[in-house]
Amino acid sequence: MSGGNVVAPQGAEIRIGKTGAILIQIGVVVAIAVIWEMSTRLGLAHPFLLPPLSAVLGRLAEDTMSGSVFLDLTLTLYRALTGFFIAAALGIPLGILMARQKLFGWFFEPLISIGFPMPKVAFIPIFILWFDIYDTSKIIMVVFSCFFPIVMATYAGTKNVDKWPLWSARSLGTREGQLLWEVILPLASPQILTGLQIALPVGMITTVVTEMLMGGRGVGGAMIQAGRFADSVGVFAGIIEIALLGMVVIRALEMLRARLLIWHPEARH
Amino acid sequence: MTSEFGIKVEGVSHSYAGRQGAGTLALKETNLEIARNEFHALLGPSGCGKSTLLYLIGGFIPVQNGVIRTPAGEVHRPGPDRGIVFQNFALFPWKTVLENVIYGLKKQNRSKEECEERARHFIKMVQLGGFENHFPSQLSGGMQQRAAIARTLAVDPDILLMDEPFGALDAQTRRVMQEELRSIWRNSRKTVVFVTHDVHEAVFLADRISIMSARPGRIEHEIETGLGLDRDDSVIESKRFIELSEQIWRLVREQAISASRGEH
Amino acid sequence: MSLALRYLPVLIFFAAWEAITFSGLVSTRLLPGLGEIGGAFAGLVASGEFFTSAARSLSRSGMGLGVAVVLGIVIGLFMATNRLFQLLINPIVRIFYPMPKSALIPLVMIWFGLGDSSKIFLIFLGCLLPVIVSSYNGARGVNHVMLWSAASLGASRAEILREVILPAALPDILAGCRTALAFSFILMVSSEFIIAKDGLGYLISTMGDGGNYPAMFAVILAVAGIGFAADRLYAAFAASSLRWKESS
Repeated sequence: MSGGNVVAPQGAEIRIGKTGAILIQIGVVVAIAVIWEMSTRLGLAHPFLLPPLSAVLGRLAEDTMSGSVFLDLTLTLYRALTGFFIAAALGIPLGILMARQKLFGWFFEPLISIGFPMPKVAFIPIFILWFDIYDTSKIIMVVFSCFFPIVMATYAGTKNVDKWPLWSARSLGTREGQLLWEVILPLASPQILTGLQIALPVGMITTVVTEMLMGGRGVGGAMIQAGRFADSVGVFAGIIEIALLGMVVIRALEMLRARLLIWHPEARH
Repeated sequence: MTSEFGIKVEGVSHSYAGRQGAGTLALKETNLEIARNEFHALLGPSGCGKSTLLYLIGGFIPVQNGVIRTPAGEVHRPGPDRGIVFQNFALFPWKTVLENVIYGLKKQNRSKEECEERARHFIKMVQLGGFENHFPSQLSGGMQQRAAIARTLAVDPDILLMDEPFGALDAQTRRVMQEELRSIWRNSRKTVVFVTHDVHEAVFLADRISIMSARPGRIEHEIETGLGLDRDDSVIESKRFIELSEQIWRLVREQAISASRGEH
Repeated sequence: MSLALRYLPVLIFFAAWEAITFSGLVSTRLLPGLGEIGGAFAGLVASGEFFTSAARSLSRSGMGLGVAVVLGIVIGLFMATNRLFQLLINPIVRIFYPMPKSALIPLVMIWFGLGDSSKIFLIFLGCLLPVIVSSYNGARGVNHVMLWSAASLGASRAEILREVILPAALPDILAGCRTALAFSFILMVSSEFIIAKDGLGYLISTMGDGGNYPAMFAVILAVAGIGFAADRLYAAFAASSLRWKESS
């Protein structure tokens, strides 16, 4: 079923080719940009509430020249990714242990499943109290919020591995110690990656919030400062920066998934 | 007997859009006339376009070239005059068996009581009495197909399109279902187009069989089975059945081999 | 496994907490004892402060989430069934979906000030995208065989959308709403930390700023508990709406 439409088999549907589809989508983005710019120029929107796009892009260019964009983006990225990787390094092994070792499963399963749906940002004041307001406390907060989805996904993925491939591998002479690396991890990897893909945006959200609350630059810190000084151009510039950063980081993880799961049926799409 | 046609397919070609604009020709200038109340089987190797032809008759995919006619007129879109039974996944999993069968009836001008009564009647006919309030997920594959058949028959279509309806069933269940389908057809008299790649199934069920070639698909042979109207399980031991199956199997095999050559 | 054995680890966790505070290993300023926290919580309940704040916060997230769910389902289903609409909305979704929604906090502050509407709008925006995306994916994933069956049984386009695509996409839609529910709590708490004059997040900050750590811990644990309970209630509701999925 090409064309992306699920209802009309009748052929009554408007047919839009691939090139047409791309043009329409580019058109939408251009139209939004034009409407944005014009609405302030024509006085339809107050320039404080909606500064003209040109002013926002100008600010972005200025900050790029001065290098402050890179400083903020690098800091935010550093905090988000460090926390994310630490959470993965802790969460994946714990999830596997929980699925493979009864005692671990018994002890951690209820704690993780209670912790999973809690809004972790509520704990920020505790982390400020314990670790102050610098990078350590921000990164620990990111670890804390990424950790639960990663453990949950790894645990579920490892637990759901069928017995058939394990039996096949054993009968082909795989030793118990090799089973984990050669069979279980590859089979659980789609779900582990899904867990990572859930955790990363959560980590980004948390990073921005911690930066807004604790300061110390980064995109979140710069934005809240701009907000407090009623510098709406700065706020919009920050939104564009963080949107681009989010897009790049999430796209990178999608590409990693496509690369790692090249054997999986999902790769065919 | 002169103008009593069930379905007329005239010069129908169909190609699917490919990635780089070059389409795949799935069906090439196909002509087929099926008599009213005939049980017709479309037989051929996979990829021969037999399902495409069925979907065209059903009006699910638009006719690009040629014309398809039924007694109700030219085919442009799906409609309750042409009921369809798919291989699987066609039942609404959130509706019970009864609700599934009632669904199509509610689209017709029938009273609530009549809908329910009629639905229960068809559920009994396909031997699902007692399972009215079960969800599809609670039924076996064979029972799900019975429910799908009941749902399609209930709206009383003139034409019954069947897309390998027993393809996902185990061998024993399939045999039972084939016999039941044949007897349901005997009692209800409908024009049936039955797509399959199982030679025995086609010979056992159909009055006439079209054997299709692959890439591009077209009808290569049309064969009258001549096994009589009333058949039961014993017919498969008859000389005629065995010879016919042999002969058709050879024809299908040729098509399958040439199709697999074409792939390389 | 009995319920007691299953939740024994939770008891062990709290027992360890008590042991640490009791032993004096960690100052009770950093980690108040459970009794102290309970006492502080009782005080907040008695003064009515807790319930007033909770009502403010929950009504905000409820409103933002509710509008997002309704609008998100409608947009997602229309995207799946109308190619032109899909092309018009898709670029907007693609740009906003990966953006950390907390970045919009300063924006809603500029637009709506410190009142209710800023938080409601933020929660609405944050919850809208996961609902749109899951409804769209769910509707696109509906097997065409089911749609063709409905069409051949005499259903019109609108009927197919309402009677087939919507229920068939429901598992995905419900999963998307669960994500949205989690987002609504995250955004509610963070926006109340940063731009509020009332609500649970604000209560946590004021207690922390005032050095009343037992009360701060109490409200944090209460918020975590409410988030957990909301998720469990929702999961039970979703499971009961999808009873047809389980096979006996």
